[in-house]
Amino acid sequence: MEVSVIGSSQVNNLGRVDLRYREVGLCSFSKNLNFAKISSPKYSGLFVGQSSISWSSKYLFPLIVKASATAQTEAAVTSEKASGTRRSEVDNNLMLYVGLPLDAVSSTNTINHARAIAAGLKALKLLGVDGVELPIWWGIAEKEARGQYNWAGYLSVAEMVQKMGLKLHVSLCFHACKESRVPLPEWVSQIGESQPDIYFTDRSGQRYKDCLSLSVDDLPIFDGKTPIQVYKEFCENFKTSFSSFMGSTITGISIGLGPDGELRYPSYHKPAKSQGAGEFQCYDKNMLSHLKQHAEASGNPLWGLSGPHDAPSSKELATSSGFLKEHGGSWESQYGDFFLSWYAGQLISHGDRLLSLASSTFSDVPIAVSGKVPLMHSWYQTRSHPAELMAGIYNTVNRDGYEGIIEVFSRNSCKAILPGIDLADEDQPKETRSSPESLLEQIIFSCRKYGIEISGQNARISGSPSGFQQIKKSLTGENAVDLFTYQRMGASFFSPEHFPSFTAFVRDLRQPQLHSDDLAVEKVDSAESLPEKNVQMQAA
Amino acid sequence: MSAVATELLVHYSLRRRTLVPGIHAYSRRAPPLYLNCTRRPLSAGPSLSSFELKAPKALTLRASASTDTAAVVESDVVFSETFSLKRPVKVEGKITIRLVNGKDEENWQLIVGCSLPGKWVLHWGVKYIGDVGRCSEWDQPPPEMRPPGSIAIKDYAIESPLEKSSTLEGESFYEVKIDFNTNNSITAINFVLKDEDSGSWYQHRGRDFKVPLTEYRHDDGNVVGAKKGFGIWPGAFGQLSNMLLKSEGAENKMDFTSCESKAPPQQNSRLEGFYEEHPIVRETLVDNSVTVSVTQCPETAKNLLYIETDLPGDVIVHWGVCKDKGRKWELPEQPYPSETKVFKNKALRTLLQRKEGGTCSSGSFTLDVGLTAFVFALKLNENTWLNNMGKDFYIPLSSSRVLNKEHSQSHSANKTKESSTAYTDGIINEIRNLVSDIASEKSRKTKIKEAQESILQEIEKLAAEAYSIFRSAIPTFTEEEVSEAEVLKPSVKIASGTGSGFEVVCQGFNWESHKSGRWYMELHQKAAELSSLGFTVVWLPPPTESVSPEGYMPKDLYNLNSRYGSIDELKSLVKRFHEVGIMVLGDAVLNHRCAHYKNQNGIWNIFGGRLNWDDRAVVADDPHFQGRGNKSSGDNFHAAPNIDHSQEFVRKDLKEWLCWLRQEIGYDGWRLDFVRGFWGGYVKDYIDASEPYFAVGEYWDSLNYTYGEMDHNQDAHRQRIVDWINATNGCAGAFDVTTKGILHSALERYEYWRLSDEKGKPPGVVGWWPSRAVTFIENHDTGSTQGHWRFPGGKEMQGYAYILTHPGTPTVFYDHIFSDYQSELSKLISVRTRNKIHCRSIVKVMKAERDVYAAIIDEKVAMKIGPGYYEPQTGPQKWSLATEGKDYKVWEAS
Repeated sequence: MEVSVIGSSQVNNLGRVDLRYREVGLCSFSKNLNFAKISSPKYSGLFVGQSSISWSSKYLFPLIVKASATAQTEAAVTSEKASGTRRSEVDNNLMLYVGLPLDAVSSTNTINHARAIAAGLKALKLLGVDGVELPIWWGIAEKEARGQYNWAGYLSVAEMVQKMGLKLHVSLCFHACKESRVPLPEWVSQIGESQPDIYFTDRSGQRYKDCLSLSVDDLPIFDGKTPIQVYKEFCENFKTSFSSFMGSTITGISIGLGPDGELRYPSYHKPAKSQGAGEFQCYDKNMLSHLKQHAEASGNPLWGLSGPHDAPSSKELATSSGFLKEHGGSWESQYGDFFLSWYAGQLISHGDRLLSLASSTFSDVPIAVSGKVPLMHSWYQTRSHPAELMAGIYNTVNRDGYEGIIEVFSRNSCKAILPGIDLADEDQPKETRSSPESLLEQIIFSCRKYGIEISGQNARISGSPSGFQQIKKSLTGENAVDLFTYQRMGASFFSPEHFPSFTAFVRDLRQPQLHSDDLAVEKVDSAESLPEKNVQMQAA
Repeated sequence: MSAVATELLVHYSLRRRTLVPGIHAYSRRAPPLYLNCTRRPLSAGPSLSSFELKAPKALTLRASASTDTAAVVESDVVFSETFSLKRPVKVEGKITIRLVNGKDEENWQLIVGCSLPGKWVLHWGVKYIGDVGRCSEWDQPPPEMRPPGSIAIKDYAIESPLEKSSTLEGESFYEVKIDFNTNNSITAINFVLKDEDSGSWYQHRGRDFKVPLTEYRHDDGNVVGAKKGFGIWPGAFGQLSNMLLKSEGAENKMDFTSCESKAPPQQNSRLEGFYEEHPIVRETLVDNSVTVSVTQCPETAKNLLYIETDLPGDVIVHWGVCKDKGRKWELPEQPYPSETKVFKNKALRTLLQRKEGGTCSSGSFTLDVGLTAFVFALKLNENTWLNNMGKDFYIPLSSSRVLNKEHSQSHSANKTKESSTAYTDGIINEIRNLVSDIASEKSRKTKIKEAQESILQEIEKLAAEAYSIFRSAIPTFTEEEVSEAEVLKPSVKIASGTGSGFEVVCQGFNWESHKSGRWYMELHQKAAELSSLGFTVVWLPPPTESVSPEGYMPKDLYNLNSRYGSIDELKSLVKRFHEVGIMVLGDAVLNHRCAHYKNQNGIWNIFGGRLNWDDRAVVADDPHFQGRGNKSSGDNFHAAPNIDHSQEFVRKDLKEWLCWLRQEIGYDGWRLDFVRGFWGGYVKDYIDASEPYFAVGEYWDSLNYTYGEMDHNQDAHRQRIVDWINATNGCAGAFDVTTKGILHSALERYEYWRLSDEKGKPPGVVGWWPSRAVTFIENHDTGSTQGHWRFPGGKEMQGYAYILTHPGTPTVFYDHIFSDYQSELSKLISVRTRNKIHCRSIVKVMKAERDVYAAIIDEKVAMKIGPGYYEPQTGPQKWSLATEGKDYKVWEAS
């Protein structure tokens, strides 16, 4: 972050250097045009200037707008006056990360868009971002066969990050990703062809094939090895292969806990407009047999024959069904409690298995281990919390379902990653009774109680300054997080519609003294700079 | 102004352009004389013939003939590799600018031409009176000034393509004409020329070309056509460069145009025509190659390295050696080869020897054992260097036989990282220094705006670079979803979902076509006529053997003798269509297939022929056919066994079949029957495998009705179609059933208001995803002799007036083409073609009332249907009637 706080007496020196580099910059920038013709000669003149002006004038960069209207000589003078800086309201210990593209490393273990990533890393470094997050996919690193690891692409990325002097947080992803077309390893899906019950299954028999069902965690489905053992070996091998980066460049890892890496059932695949809240995913063979045992053990064998018969399907209104009705739904019955406790309990044990696996594996290297807690915010304002229940979090109006989860994190000394801190209640569709803000508050409360550290992430790339406002709110309030990872680098991230707001957001976090308000205030006593102030106001 | 230099503003960087080198790990003892078979990664230069010199035998000869110290008797080739090179070659041509008087004093024409072949685009804008204060901002010209094919770039510029024409000498020439009227208060036209192929911009002295249309003093030095009437501006160029230096520090926008001109623009001066030529130099890249081989001589324990290249002219090898694992260049021990100079004590420069009579240059280098690598770059002249993908050529010399392959891989992995520009490294270092300065004098918290500013600019520049690369890699359909929301740049890019974007489809059959038994022959006669009517794509009936004569109950997919004709007649028909410039779509029935045999229960579900699937290929959830496959991923068609596309072997077979049809018959694309029956993701799989030019799926389900009355809002219906297109990843279009349904109600019941949705856009798929909407009003099922859902009688031409002027890809039904409607259809199609209406054109609904609907498309075509009154307003455009018929009218902007 210090990078952008620049002050020294080297005005002349820098000016000269700047000029020199800019000449070089001419040819090098022009290269980009061969790739995509993003610029057009709206302004006659050099290309260098063009890109920055056409962006900045649109997106109100306080600094640039100001400078272009200034006579150059007074720059140093006026800036001296800015020495009394306002104290940052944001805790400057906040670490700011940006996620690398999901497909940063292709399935053939090469870096996708290496030049773009290199340029992007430089831009982030200059901007004062602390580090980047890199997803490492099971389906790429252990693609060929079990135990055959290929880290080449990921190692090259780590090297790039290291050279740029950035930190790296690695997400070990044991799930597949439709968006970037990363499948599970082929040898896993082959087993899935013959034994489809290794996948989560809903009542209608639909299988969710993007990660393994938690019910097989301890079953020897891979030639005598269990998924937990396979995950463990993966982590061990990762640790060894990246040992030279551990603790220096790599400061943390997060372990994939389920769909999208989150500790939940894949009850709900995509945030569609539908009014459903998802479906229970307890219908694979092993889940069912476990449920049966559990029911028999608790003296109600009939309860173990299937999942709740009156649960809604994903297409039905969440609260319309007998099971999840707001008032008088079976969820409040004894059976409901039996089923939901079991369902949620399975998930918590699964979380415990993976987190303890990770924390024991990485106990001898100085890096933090985290896991992702889902933010199932739809239907939060109902009594029955259908979305959370079906995702495996037994959180209702009567019961705090996050305590148990966070307790597991705490037991394994793991940090919690909370996605969606950019979500504001007011942006949610009314009909889903959603409240991301209150849910976040509840989870953070639990985290504080158990004293575990929190990392925040945004749910989506922010198109508007208001999204950034919401993030800032989450980062600054009492619920402040320790690390924020902005998701994620890519075309829209760097697009002229988005990047300037991101830049402004980072600068705002890092250097509140440069806020345009402050500049205007400082300039009042300087007669020479009056024109500047006008420019400011016009720009604002 | 004679001393004008046109400069190439942007050119390909050499450092990045060389392509992947072919990697060849030779066996230890390579058989002599076969070595010349080096597989080359690219078809590079013409000089393959000279490659036999690489053989060790030849090398030996050469070495002994020369005075070289290495007396090689027996040698092992330890390394050999051919690198492809891209050599920039300059081509000269000219840009011509001509201003001529039109039909009267007020109407003028500006003609800009270019003599170099290429896809040229004029990127231009105008200045209006009163624009003085805005410096170099451009404005968009009024619509009537824009030549056909022009595209608006945001709100400030226009891009007009240069059309190919021929000069008197028969050379091809590219030019664009801009008509304008001196009354419309335009003071100047500014432009640059863009080469779409390379993305290069050609400017005038690093600035825009500027053609002043009135006399006023904007002394920028980039004015052209100033010989007469306007006087000469003194010293413009020198002045300019001074200013450039002065202001460079703080401003990066070169806006010293008319800002300083104090005098208000003087009107009324007479315009005079002129003609000017400016030289233009374009760099293109020519393929060459360099081959490096290393042989080891066991006797002398030295390596002999041999370089040969087909680059013309004097080629200097700029080289050094590496002694340890590092990449540091060092000088080897003497003696050096002949024609070698030491360059700054860092490297050696050796001139390669020209081969007698040949086009090749070569050189050999004797290298001591113990060196790890030979590093070099090639120098053609002072400014032209060639290297290996932005890095030095690195030839490993290790005696412990490093695997070339492995080495080069790590090599290429590194390559990408360092290719990004050096200057940013510099900036970062500079910042680091500054940061350490801060640390040392932390008490003085002074800031330097310029430094910050330059960092910000750096960041923006990097972001722009990253953006351009990331963006170029986005799959087409997302790109479009973004771009359709903003400015539309009709891409002439071919995509299977859209074809070229300018397609007009003809459904080349009806429900009766099988009856004659010689449909292919009959259609053969009509090919030329269809082409002249303006069709670019024809959809042929299903070609396979079928249980029903119309072809939609296929049995043996590889038997293409059907009621429409034989396979040979089909091939000849496809060939004929290709001759007249029409693409051919095959009707692929993938949802179901009729069985050859019964299973043990007497159910027909066992297939024969080349694809002899059993009941595992049949979906499980249709009780009629007792399939053993998975449940269907879509709706079921109950008359035949539905194919289970989730089976790998089924998909593999179908993909093979589609590819076979592409190859064997020459089909260019597909019309996919009953795609409701299976998941769109499988369609994507088939499209990806068969790579059609164009593909469209039939997703036909019922519209939404409430109490027997069709709902105004058919969003749910079109959403289902759009969902399907999405599932195919946008790689196929879909018939816009929604639009047909809404047209039915609108026309039949005089409810033309239905033709505008709540957002004022077309209410069908075409309003949401125009480029993937294939519009139609009738087909063999809805109309013809089946008439399942016939278009309101007598109103067909209104329907066509709608779909043929609107975005989407329109389809015209055979029965209508060969009917009394033909001449009307022909006129509509030619209006569409002439005005370059394409699948992404923009519709502005002007009126949607009880008895009339009117719209303006791309600001070029206006149309109305319905008996009500509508006339387009003469605003910036002047409208002239293009065609009309019963209850419809179409106008063109003139």
